[in-house]
Amino acid sequence: MTPPILEVSGLGIAFGGLRAVDDLSFRAERNAVTTIIGPNGAGKSTVFNLISGALSPRAGKVTFDGRDCTGAPPHRMRTLGLGRSFQITSLFPDLTVFENLRLASEVLEPRSRWLLPVSRSPIALARADALLSRFALTGRADELAGALSHGEQRRLEVAMAIAAEPKLLLLDEPTQGMSHGDTEETAELIRSLAADLSVLLIEHDIGLVMTISDHVVVMHQGRKLAEGAPAAVRADPAVQAAYFGHA
Amino acid sequence: MVEAATGPVADPARGARPIDRIGLAMRASHLLALLLLAGCLVFALVAWRTGDVFYLRLATEALIFAGLALSVDILLGYTGLLSLGQALYFGLGAYMSAVLLRSGWSFAGVMAAVLLGATVVSFLGGLIVSRVRGVYFALITFGMAQVAAKAVYNTRELGASDGLIGVPIVKIALGFTTVSSDSPIGFFLFVLGFMVLLYLALSYLLDTPFGRILIAIRSNERRVPFLGYQPQRARLCAYVAAGIVAALSGALYPMLRGFVSPELMSFTTSGNAVITVVTGGAGTLVGALYGSVILTALRSVIGSWTSHHLIVIGLIFMAVVIFFPRGLIGVIRARLESWLVRRRTR
Repeated sequence: MTPPILEVSGLGIAFGGLRAVDDLSFRAERNAVTTIIGPNGAGKSTVFNLISGALSPRAGKVTFDGRDCTGAPPHRMRTLGLGRSFQITSLFPDLTVFENLRLASEVLEPRSRWLLPVSRSPIALARADALLSRFALTGRADELAGALSHGEQRRLEVAMAIAAEPKLLLLDEPTQGMSHGDTEETAELIRSLAADLSVLLIEHDIGLVMTISDHVVVMHQGRKLAEGAPAAVRADPAVQAAYFGHA
Repeated sequence: MVEAATGPVADPARGARPIDRIGLAMRASHLLALLLLAGCLVFALVAWRTGDVFYLRLATEALIFAGLALSVDILLGYTGLLSLGQALYFGLGAYMSAVLLRSGWSFAGVMAAVLLGATVVSFLGGLIVSRVRGVYFALITFGMAQVAAKAVYNTRELGASDGLIGVPIVKIALGFTTVSSDSPIGFFLFVLGFMVLLYLALSYLLDTPFGRILIAIRSNERRVPFLGYQPQRARLCAYVAAGIVAALSGALYPMLRGFVSPELMSFTTSGNAVITVVTGGAGTLVGALYGSVILTALRSVIGSWTSHHLIVIGLIFMAVVIFFPRGLIGVIRARLESWLVRRRTR
């Protein structure tokens, strides 16, 4: 059996006295949607930062695609096949939508084309075109990314994360601030993405989590509270108390 | 995700490749550069017919400092790094050139040596400064240039505070003709051609994936590593490229003036280059060329009326920053660019 795409064991980091992530272990299976849920401040985005290389863990191990990648820098993780989107949209606001996607696709080109004009990067150009139509941004291709609506920026954010054809995609609250209709479309999109890659998701919309996840990890105050199939997690009394309970 | 048709500019008939705005902006720069080139040639013709020397020499100097401004623009306009010490490399090129010419080296030998020297020195400097950004980058580049200037100022072998004089006239063999550095018109045309080549080389470099990463760093550096690139390494490469451009330009200075002085490495020189780029328009390349020509002309014209010309130039600079934050040429280029976009979409 092939190893899981991602395995995290005993992961920990502290900021000052706060244990943001504490002894966290879970796995993300291939071609599946694994979702991390938990109240605000549970440490979810910190886990993403630890996996994607934005932060180095103080303890524990990150095994990506059968390889120990603990503390590898972001560009290295990207090269190994990790793509991520950000909770707070992080685009190149003064470049066009197309140029944002072209930049994100450029790593698909062989290095030998790096000092040729960009018009001679056929793979990246074709990839950016394909992403424009897949994410319904074709009509906005020539707009500056900073001029897009919030929903469009969120879509572009996801499109850039998958541009370089990652094996594992980390999506940090892709539906943040989206309307109900857009959220449903995003759910559909995530499902379709899981057909050919693995997805690790942070999401607040519980309805969405329950319908699209194969596996759910619940975090609370930096620790893992529970994990399992969506229905089982939902039924767990400890989870209900910490997360669904008393609003 | 199927609402493409609701986008206000959605046009299924367009079908063509999306517009490369950065490429079009560069084309707008090319048009302006062509205009400048034509202007320079007309000026050369007039000056040649009237037998002028003073203005030809002044214009040649403007073009040489335009090279230094180009180097600042790579860092400031494209990568978003404010260098307050680019004169370090200009001075390095100038001093290397002066010393080697005095030892009887040929033009080609001098330029090759300057290229090599600038690559090594800017790589070492780049290892230091590419680790930092923002105000720290500005301060460290400033500090390195000050240290180098002081070192030169106190080195008797380099003429100390007096600089080096008596740099011999150099013959530049171009294959079809030979240009002598003491021929006002010949050397002016040579420097003009040299700057055209530098401009073309840089505009080529900035249109490659490497150049686009520099622009991405300026726009949002934090996202860049997650696209698979190392911003620090790209900043280092940009710094080396800028160092080479500054040094090659500086190497021409002693050929024009016959001397070098520590002034060439001073903060005044670095600061003037930044003012030149901001006045012309950062991130346009061509703005650096125009900026240098405009400021040199102003300095000469206003300087002939009053000895307080720096006050006037300071006021002009302030007015440009307030009213044309994109620079004089930046404003025109933006107009030209949107005209090119309209022509493409029609």
